[in-house]
Amino acid sequence: MKYIYRLVYIVMPAAIAMAFLYAPPAEGLGESSRLLYFHVPLAWVSVLAFSISGVLSVLFLFTGNGERRELVHAAHNSAAIGLLFTVLATFSGSVWSKLSWGAYWNWDPRQTSIIVLMLVYIAYFSLESALRENPSRQRIVSAYLVFAMVTVPFFVFVVPRIFPSLHPDPVINADRQVHLESAMKISLMTAIAAFTLLYGYILNLANRVSAINEQKKGDLR
Amino acid sequence: MVKTIIAHIKKDFRIEFRNRYAVSVSFSFAFTTTLAISLAAGGIPFSPQTHAVILWVIMFFTAMSGLAHIFVREEDRGTSLFLRLNSPALAVFTAKLLYNVLLFFVLQCMILPVYLFFMQLDVQSPLFFLGYVFLGGIALSSSLTILAAIVARAGARGALFPVISLPVSLPVLWVVIQGTSRSLGRAGFSSPGDMVFLLAFSGTITAVSYLLFEFVWHD
Amino acid sequence: MKKNEYSLQGASLTKFFGTAAVLRDISFSLSLPSSLAITGPNGSGKTTLLEIIAGIQRPTKGTVRLFRDDTELRRPWHHETGYVSPRLRLYDELTAQELIEFTCASRSTLRNRADEFLAMFGLTGHRKKMLSRYSSGMAQRLKCILAFISEPPILLLDEPGSNLDREGKEALFRYLESVRSERIIIIATNEKEEADFCGERISLG
Repeated sequence: MKYIYRLVYIVMPAAIAMAFLYAPPAEGLGESSRLLYFHVPLAWVSVLAFSISGVLSVLFLFTGNGERRELVHAAHNSAAIGLLFTVLATFSGSVWSKLSWGAYWNWDPRQTSIIVLMLVYIAYFSLESALRENPSRQRIVSAYLVFAMVTVPFFVFVVPRIFPSLHPDPVINADRQVHLESAMKISLMTAIAAFTLLYGYILNLANRVSAINEQKKGDLR
Repeated sequence: MVKTIIAHIKKDFRIEFRNRYAVSVSFSFAFTTTLAISLAAGGIPFSPQTHAVILWVIMFFTAMSGLAHIFVREEDRGTSLFLRLNSPALAVFTAKLLYNVLLFFVLQCMILPVYLFFMQLDVQSPLFFLGYVFLGGIALSSSLTILAAIVARAGARGALFPVISLPVSLPVLWVVIQGTSRSLGRAGFSSPGDMVFLLAFSGTITAVSYLLFEFVWHD
Repeated sequence: MKKNEYSLQGASLTKFFGTAAVLRDISFSLSLPSSLAITGPNGSGKTTLLEIIAGIQRPTKGTVRLFRDDTELRRPWHHETGYVSPRLRLYDELTAQELIEFTCASRSTLRNRADEFLAMFGLTGHRKKMLSRYSSGMAQRLKCILAFISEPPILLLDEPGSNLDREGKEALFRYLESVRSERIIIIATNEKEEADFCGERISLG
């Protein structure tokens, strides 16, 4: 099962090739529309990584009597990857925003959401480092992440009402504004699959490193 | 259990009443911040929207200065061990939650007149204005209580509290700023959904806090 | 009324701070009534062991389990223990009377023995004084009262005689002697007379 992530070796080059060679440029946006195949998957993984961190934290707190430390390590690793992808998604998004809407930053709902996501990640890592000395650090950090996750539905409700949108909406199940051609759709799906696999691959690797570190700590004793 | 909770509320308020410096520092902070903004503005007329933003930024940072105190005090003075050994987590959290909601209410009661007086603000729909301010206050103070418990256990608290609080309080701030600016201007009260939102937020957040508090509190 | 049979079991308790071992593989098994002294030089981990038993610290390895009538109780079982330690700090802004009332309400026990305990430890005249005006010996006496008043089956005492004068120590041990047959008592100490009070002994370090 854990070897499934090695598919990334094949899918990622395929996704890149499709983005540049197979997919046609979108009308009106020109060649810059190829950013779609990188920006959307990056944003997707940011959200996915956050959800997985949250779910792992819930599992850690409510199952196994707080003994399953590997869950916290996995949540931490997932959040670290998530933070990286969030930064990349924000960066690629603002470049694209400059090209198509004329400004790097517009306070569009999705831009706002990703900034909030970044804030949560930053808060999580700040808290973790501020608790370094505390023996119950793992439970406190997990509790914070769960708490932050509970506020997500409120964001989903509020953000679109406060900030008017520029994004083609919704991007993937296009039914109104942007009709993605089937070649574009296939490329996008491949890219999303490739980035999800990449996330799984890195997470798996990071978890193994954490396990080795944990083992080393045990051996020193 | 009710008796236990009442005993905790009594204890927290009694201690606070006997050494008032913490509360008075919060008051002074609120007062100074409000004055600082008014003085810096120097009589420039603001739009209702700007007023709402400034007012809530003041409120948020006042909360940052005051609401962590109830837990930080227990850790700093070393009494948290005594509390942990003797008290059920439920009673501890209930007392502190109540304390924070009340403290923030009182702080707001102080900020508002000062702000209204110095900024020469006239409110178009006072009732809705007060409604937004106090419902927003409840939503803010109830969501910040468990974060205060978290912060009390960490280092670098003064800087950490806003960092972990902001992402969680943003939905409240957005809704309440919009509502406040509407009630200041002519638009008045247009959406009861906002009030329901604030209540729903407070309720959900409090329920989740109760669920998570034990993990934060016990070692 | 059903008689509660308590037993307290520590299994291979080990504690590391960083890579330095403070406790290595400590095990014990106590059932009510019994008394255990933990002795050892400074820094040998007496307090650490007691705090692990009390559930204030977590051991790196090993478990402490408490059974009542053969069913294991789930942590935290702070209400089954009375804890006295120099590390325990009380609220300076409260009076002895208020602290006793608070403790009783927190532990949902009746406070009708408050007067008796205050008299036993000679604090009756000081009950309305704030703790900020207490001497360290008086505070130690009050800590004992607070630990004993809910009559928990397990008493965990970390150097209970510290700061106490002769009279205070006598009051303490008179009380411990009187409840010896219905408690599990664990004392961490270097005082010979306190250690001699206990039936069993663990020597650390």
